[in-house]
Amino acid sequence: MDTLAMGTILDPPEATAAARQFIQVRGARKVYASGDKSVEALSDVSFDVAKGEFVAILGPSGCGKSTLLMMCGGLEAVTAGVITIAGTPMTAPRASVGIMFQDPTLLPWKTVLQNVLFPARIQHLPEMEYRDRAQQLIDMVGLHGFENKRPHELSGGMRQRVAICRALLNDPDFLLMDEPFSALDAITRDEMNEVLLDIWRRYAKTALFVTHSIREAVLLADRVLMMTRRPATVVADIRIPFGRPRDMSVTEAPEFTRLCTQLRGMIERGTGQLDRRPGDGPILQPGRHGGEE
Amino acid sequence: MSAPSLTTAPAGPFTVRLRLPWRRLRPVLLPLLFIAGCLAAWQVVANLNPQSRAVLSAPSDVIGVLNKNLPLLLPHLAATARETVAGFALAAIVGMVLGAALAQWRRVQQALLPHLVLFQIVPKIALAPLFIIWFGVGPESRLLFALFLAFFAIASATTAGLSATRPDALRLCASLTASPWQTFFAVRLPFAIPSIFAGLKMGMTMALIGDIVGEFVSGQEGLGYVVMFAAAGADAALTFAALTLLCALGLTVYGVVVLAEMAAERWYGAPFVSEGFHNRKDK
Amino acid sequence: MTGSRREQLLSIGLPVATAVVLAALWQAAVSLTDIREIMLPAPTAMVAKLNANLPTLLEAALVTGREALAAFALAVVAGFIVAAASSSSQLLRETIYPAIIALQLIPKVALAPLFVVILGIEAEARITFAALLSFFPVLISTASGLSNTDPNAMRLCRSLRASAWQSFWSVRVPFALPHFFYGMRISSTMAVTGVVIAEFISAKQGLGFAILSASAVSKTATVFAAIAVLCALGLGLYGAVAALERLAARWYRG
Ligand SMILES: Nc1ncnc2c1ncn2[C@@H]1O[C@H](COP(=O)(O)OP(=O)(O)OP(=O)(O)O)[C@@H](O)[C@H]1O
Ligand SMILES: [Mg+2]
Repeated sequence: MDTLAMGTILDPPEATAAARQFIQVRGARKVYASGDKSVEALSDVSFDVAKGEFVAILGPSGCGKSTLLMMCGGLEAVTAGVITIAGTPMTAPRASVGIMFQDPTLLPWKTVLQNVLFPARIQHLPEMEYRDRAQQLIDMVGLHGFENKRPHELSGGMRQRVAICRALLNDPDFLLMDEPFSALDAITRDEMNEVLLDIWRRYAKTALFVTHSIREAVLLADRVLMMTRRPATVVADIRIPFGRPRDMSVTEAPEFTRLCTQLRGMIERGTGQLDRRPGDGPILQPGRHGGEE
Repeated sequence: MSAPSLTTAPAGPFTVRLRLPWRRLRPVLLPLLFIAGCLAAWQVVANLNPQSRAVLSAPSDVIGVLNKNLPLLLPHLAATARETVAGFALAAIVGMVLGAALAQWRRVQQALLPHLVLFQIVPKIALAPLFIIWFGVGPESRLLFALFLAFFAIASATTAGLSATRPDALRLCASLTASPWQTFFAVRLPFAIPSIFAGLKMGMTMALIGDIVGEFVSGQEGLGYVVMFAAAGADAALTFAALTLLCALGLTVYGVVVLAEMAAERWYGAPFVSEGFHNRKDK
Repeated sequence: MTGSRREQLLSIGLPVATAVVLAALWQAAVSLTDIREIMLPAPTAMVAKLNANLPTLLEAALVTGREALAAFALAVVAGFIVAAASSSSQLLRETIYPAIIALQLIPKVALAPLFVVILGIEAEARITFAALLSFFPVLISTASGLSNTDPNAMRLCRSLRASAWQSFWSVRVPFALPHFFYGMRISSTMAVTGVVIAEFISAKQGLGFAILSASAVSKTATVFAAIAVLCALGLGLYGAVAALERLAARWYRG
């Protein structure tokens, strides 16, 4: 059988409560102590992500999106509140959670294939088995023939593709992506979005995806979370009404453009108020408290 | 295996042969010509001016002395080489281990790194007489002094290199649940290789300097001693002959470190180009 | 917050504590075992000697310091000029630069006796020798700084039709300043080292002479005291360069 089928198939909607609350963020707060003063990045963030759901996070620069993602990945400790994934609190990184950073973070002395196989090497996974899988992933993102090139011989978009392959290698249950394409030009970015949609068509994963691009969020996600300025909370939780499998053609739908415009207006007004129309989906407005600096 | 690509096939042998030389050889030939010119000027001045020849000798005189006195000089060369290389090797082991320890444990680094830096700055060479008091005038004393001088450069470069791993790479390792040892060997060490070898090269130079100064001060054997002895006896040709051997020794031991660096880069699959791994500025 | 205050305290406290503990161990080792003072004088004995001999040591430090300063100044000026010249044309760069690198690799300290033979046992010999040692770091790092100017800044200069002289002073030099100062810092150490080595070989005064003559008669405590003064001298010169670097950095960062 195709080893790519190792991916989990999207659970049906009538999934259990556990699957609906695959990721639970409850009252997450983060205060950075730097020098003599402290910065409150997140004041009180709560949301759930169901299994197989792709959730995009939008918010002003510096509001704490990266912080939230790192906390979900177990790379930063929460100051207060709790984040659980599959029922267990996230206190340290787990092999079942894959992270894609804004930069490809490729090791310059390793080839493309070696970079993709890096997680297998760290996690002592059987090399031979994963070599085939790595090769398949590389083929899937269109890097066939570049396996033995080094990162400096690749373009920016190609490096990001390698990073995607690496994040998918050990078939994580949950993917965290922190503005993975923000350094790319618009055309390459569209290409990468297509790669992601293709991956989601093949084997849907649960994902949290931080982006600055409204278009990208609406195109890729099942839900969009909107965050406020620092200290941040989630002000809106918008369901994206497009089904899956999805491809670039949804961008041509009038619905798509309207949704983008609405979200943009919301960001400009800095509130979670959306002109609600039937079919826009529910808007959650978590209560906010704290917020002292 | 994939078939070799046709685009990389070399052009015809003639075009290659005829076009390459000057462009390729220029960076090698020009400095060699420059040095040859300097030597020739030296010879000419010596021939025209016997007074300067007495003080500065001449390339031909130096070659003559080297020819005649090589059997006498070789034991001194061997002594200097032995002490320098042994001192350097010990310094490399101690320095890299201590440097790695400092990089691994933050508190130890906080406690010791300032002292390491301080020792880098102060003129350590002044301690040569102390080593004679402590360890006598024999080879051990010079070896230990060479070790002492080389150690600080190697230890601080190792610490600096290992502590300067890109934060993104460390985060990647953490997200993959890598153990500290895995992180060390998979990411921190390869990133530190250029810095460690910069320290080793510096250390090699320092070890040779330490040995020579030790020979100046203890005055028993070695090329430093020959230089001193010959200069005191106003034997310019012998001085320069010993200096020539020292230069050859210096370039050789340095070359060995460079070869080791190339081997290490090969092993890790260098060249260590850092493009495509931009360090994200942390806000 | 308290956490960072604690870090600040630790980053100063730990090294100081280490130094104090080592000194105490040293003192204890000397007083508890029967190490002869010739081998290892106690820290207290060293301080006593330092106190007793301070006038003579300072006089020696003045001599050494003056020569080191002169050598350093010579090296910096010469290093900068040669770097500017050798980076001004590709021919010069390709011709001189590799030769300079090769010279950097060979043990120039071995030349010390030669300087004494040629220039005599006076200050000129020591200054010239020390200047030679400290010349190379300035030269090499300045040259690498001058030849690695941001290509965009050079393009800007060309588009503004700046003369070679203008672009040298207004763009290449400011870009090379950090390299220049890095070279100067290393050079300051080399200048003191060079003078001391030359004093070992031929001198009737100076700290190198004081160290060597005290060690010849096994006055180890005096050797240590002289080394302490020499270290202070070296750190002073280095610190002065570092301070200058700060000033320059403030100027060119605006
Ligand atoms: N290690 C840290 N120490 C202190 N403050 C930090 C640290 N990391 C982040 N911050 C602060 O926390 C806030 C949120 O940072 P974060 O990187 O999470 O923002 P972001 O939403 O990802 O921004 P961007 O969209 O620009 O990437 C910022 O104000 C930042 O200054
Ligand atoms: Mg961010």
